Amino acid sequence: MKKLFLLVIFFGIFSSCEDVIDVALNDAPPRLVVEANLNVWENGTSQASVRLTTTAPFFNNGVPFITDATVTVTDENGTVYPFTYFENGFYTANLVPQLNIEYTLSIIYKDETYTATETLYTVSPLEFVEQRNDGGFTGEDIELKAFFTDPAGERNFYFFEGISERGDVLDVYNDEFFDGNTIFGYYLVEDLAPADEVQFNIYGVSEAYYNFMFILLQQTGGGGGPFETQPATVRGNIINETNPDNYPLGYFRVSEVSTLNYTVQ
Amino acid sequence: MKKILTFLVFFGSFTAFSQEKFTLSGTISEAETGETLIGVNVIIPSLQTGTVTNQYGYYSITLPKGEYEIVYSSIGFAAQKVKVSLSENVKKDLALTTDTESLDEVIIEANNERLNIRSSQMSANTLSTTTIKKIPVVLGEVDVIKAITLLPGVTSAGEGASGFNIRGGAADQNLILLDEATLYNSSHLFGFFSVFNPDAIKDLTLYKGGIPARYGGRISSVLDIYQKDGNKREYHASGGIGLVASRLLLEGPIKRDEASFLIGGRSSYAHLFLPLFDNDNIAYFYDLNAKLSYNLNDNNRLYLSGYFGRDVFEISDSFANSFGNTTLNLRWNHLFSDKLFSNLSLIYSDYYYGLELKFVEFNFDSGIRNFNLKYDFSHYISNDVDLRYGINSIYYKFNPGDVTPTTEDSGINPFKLTDKYAWENAAYVDAEIELSDKISVQAGLRLSTFNRLGQDELFLYENDNPIIYNPSLDIYQKAKPIDTVSFGRSETIKSFANLEPRFAISYLLNEDSSIKASYNRMTQYIHLISNTTSPTPFDIYAPSGKYIEPQLADQVALGYFRNFENYSLEVETFYKKVKNRLDYVDDADLIANDAVEQILLNGEARAYGLEMLFRKNTGKFQGWIAYTLSKSEQRTPGRTPVESGINNGEWYNSPWDKTHDISITGQYELTNKWSFGANFIFQTGIPTTYPEGQYEYNGVIVPVYGARNSSRLSSYNRLDLSATWTPKPDSNKRWKGEWVFSIYNAYNRKNAASISFRENTDINQNEAVRLSIFGIIPSVTYNFKF
Repeated sequence: MKKLFLLVIFFGIFSSCEDVIDVALNDAPPRLVVEANLNVWENGTSQASVRLTTTAPFFNNGVPFITDATVTVTDENGTVYPFTYFENGFYTANLVPQLNIEYTLSIIYKDETYTATETLYTVSPLEFVEQRNDGGFTGEDIELKAFFTDPAGERNFYFFEGISERGDVLDVYNDEFFDGNTIFGYYLVEDLAPADEVQFNIYGVSEAYYNFMFILLQQTGGGGGPFETQPATVRGNIINETNPDNYPLGYFRVSEVSTLNYTVQ
Repeated sequence: MKKILTFLVFFGSFTAFSQEKFTLSGTISEAETGETLIGVNVIIPSLQTGTVTNQYGYYSITLPKGEYEIVYSSIGFAAQKVKVSLSENVKKDLALTTDTESLDEVIIEANNERLNIRSSQMSANTLSTTTIKKIPVVLGEVDVIKAITLLPGVTSAGEGASGFNIRGGAADQNLILLDEATLYNSSHLFGFFSVFNPDAIKDLTLYKGGIPARYGGRISSVLDIYQKDGNKREYHASGGIGLVASRLLLEGPIKRDEASFLIGGRSSYAHLFLPLFDNDNIAYFYDLNAKLSYNLNDNNRLYLSGYFGRDVFEISDSFANSFGNTTLNLRWNHLFSDKLFSNLSLIYSDYYYGLELKFVEFNFDSGIRNFNLKYDFSHYISNDVDLRYGINSIYYKFNPGDVTPTTEDSGINPFKLTDKYAWENAAYVDAEIELSDKISVQAGLRLSTFNRLGQDELFLYENDNPIIYNPSLDIYQKAKPIDTVSFGRSETIKSFANLEPRFAISYLLNEDSSIKASYNRMTQYIHLISNTTSPTPFDIYAPSGKYIEPQLADQVALGYFRNFENYSLEVETFYKKVKNRLDYVDDADLIANDAVEQILLNGEARAYGLEMLFRKNTGKFQGWIAYTLSKSEQRTPGRTPVESGINNGEWYNSPWDKTHDISITGQYELTNKWSFGANFIFQTGIPTTYPEGQYEYNGVIVPVYGARNSSRLSSYNRLDLSATWTPKPDSNKRWKGEWVFSIYNAYNRKNAASISFRENTDINQNEAVRLSIFGIIPSVTYNFKF
């Protein structure tokens, strides 16, 4: 809708504009941010990582990493997987998430304990990529569609990534309107050219994660549209057991992933 | 004593006391065209009394037997003095001629204003099209909505915003009537143009408060617009050609003095230039007004009017969008007697919104449709008492959305959001009484009811709670329905009934000034569910029902009105409280939502302020200064002490709250060839929510936001200038033309429509980016009449 809006502004007016201005903003006290993902692929490879950072003043360059937290994931059978610090706020472990098992994340930071619980959501594999050279809003861009088939008769939610040097596209889908059909993740970035490499990832996620990412993407300008909500800080599924008011941001997600690498023709 | 007895016995007929009384009545029209005239003053100076013509040009006043001089006057027309011998009921129709200057003007003005000072109507502004046409506006197009935003108490949420806000009320709380038919969207192209073709309009009145009992269904205001009937004497055309849009109106008699037609259209075409810029997108609007009027005989008149408007957008081949209003109404004026005037209206009104996403291969259609019957009576009982009563019945069908795939192998399944049905009814009675020389009262009562009718698939929830509070995450979540029920269409799911008292009183301090006070209670049963700060055409109307309560508003206003020789001053203060104002929880998801009750919380709203209007109405230089100081806020507490509600249950600014709003507008007629106009507007910036920090998630920078609407954009101000050149003002030729040169935002201020916070990926730094929509815009329009 932003594009629509700008289009309307454009006709006959030629004088509307966007410009960068100085705004004095308040700085809220820092809050813990958790990016915890347990990923597993169909062939059994897995990747378990938890990234810990904090919020920072809006005009700062970058966010601070947290290097001194204790991070573990425990499954419902009591097995504990400790995470070790790697770099840039990332903590990793060796963990292959299984279906129908509850995983509990626990983070101890500054004497406060943060927890979240999740289970594995499966995903249908990415099947093929269709390329069109006359796509996009101007009819001149290369657009890619990565197809997958949604299982019929169940509610499914997806998180989709299209990653390349030209730019990343993130999106979330819910199968309310395409249940059981073959549908696509849409990838469109400026200046995509032949020989560019694009990696598509699709994750099976919960409905709560779908809602979480949907709002998040709107606030970052990645989503948007005529459905923009009143901005408010979106909360994930992690709570602070010690001090509930000092809640963290971010999400603990356990997903099956399907990856497809594609070279632009 | 006589007057008090008259007041007590105003139901039905009653016999005169010691004096015989007769009725003087008739229709006032414009001599050149045969158009009936609204609001013409009919004054009997010797009795210090008078009346005005109604929306159909009809007046009626009952006086004691005698000889009188009656003065008929209206701004812009030559007044007429007529001697009438009232020894029996007299029918006096009159034709007034337009008048550009008159020696009697000042005296007549004084009489006009005296009537306004005495009337108990307050918080209302009537604008004639002559006044509206002189106000410079964007792109040289005369715009009714932009003109009313120059009045005190009226603002818009910003450039590019559709709709307007009255006395701190939301944009869906305004009842917009075009020839008695309800319109759902008042603007084209995101607020750039209004849906009203100024050539087709006869008269408009905006009620911000003191709303008479004959209006209902929206709680903040009524914008009552009447179209012309069409020239009953000769064929004429008028129109304008501009850089962005053009318009043409044709009118004329079908049978001279008896029947006439009017048909007008407008369209924009700037999108045709886009291919020059290698852009094959489309954005335009068009609308069509049509009307047929027929005077069957002295006591019966028929009108058939219609309006059709659409906005169309297409982005290359992938996305097409169209939306707009359609109305069709048939009205029958009937005089039961010279004291009893009636109007029966049968109205069909439709608002459509459609989207076609070609690259995903589906269509989305939604809309609201209603059938409306109104029967209004004006009963002119005596010279002191006018009674109005009537009924209003509206049947609604809401289509929240219909998704259909456009090709066989589209990945989208067909899907229909459940249609909703409702039936709104009202009956009212309203009396305008002159209690004494100094006191005038309007007392009315409206009884409104709303039945939410049966539909397929209504969700049921545990404990009737569609929304659940999750205390550990401190967020509101949608409740999962426990059951779905279907009802037959004639069954009622839930019904509401409300009494709406309306009261206004004026007290004449002296010949030139008065104080007025009013109270009204208003009810609104349909609500615009819009999560954006200003409405978009995609917003849906939700009817009250099992989970949504009707909004109830109480407004009190107090005002002081004063006339000077060439000026008038109105000062009003108001306080408005609204119950059951809905708001969305944080992070609400509105797309194709079949269950809006799962994201809405019930709260309250209030607004209060001081308005001042200082006008110069006569002479070569005319205009006004309007100043409004006001506050508009909302509060949505949790439903229990544990819940946080929105913004922790504290008051927060409404998205359209503007502390200061100053509008100055002036027109100066230098010679009969040149006249100039200017507007200056200054408003406090609208509330917004700023970030207080940032974080990174999955490689994206996300802002951390502060309290809802706790910050403000910088102030909004601009200057508009216009010059109108009439090359041959004295020409006797049939073709008359004038050139209008205008500059919108003459000093090119970049007023912020919004500020977005995002990452500049080129320098990896966050930025605040201001979007300003209108810079300096010069334009030229050629208006013609023949």
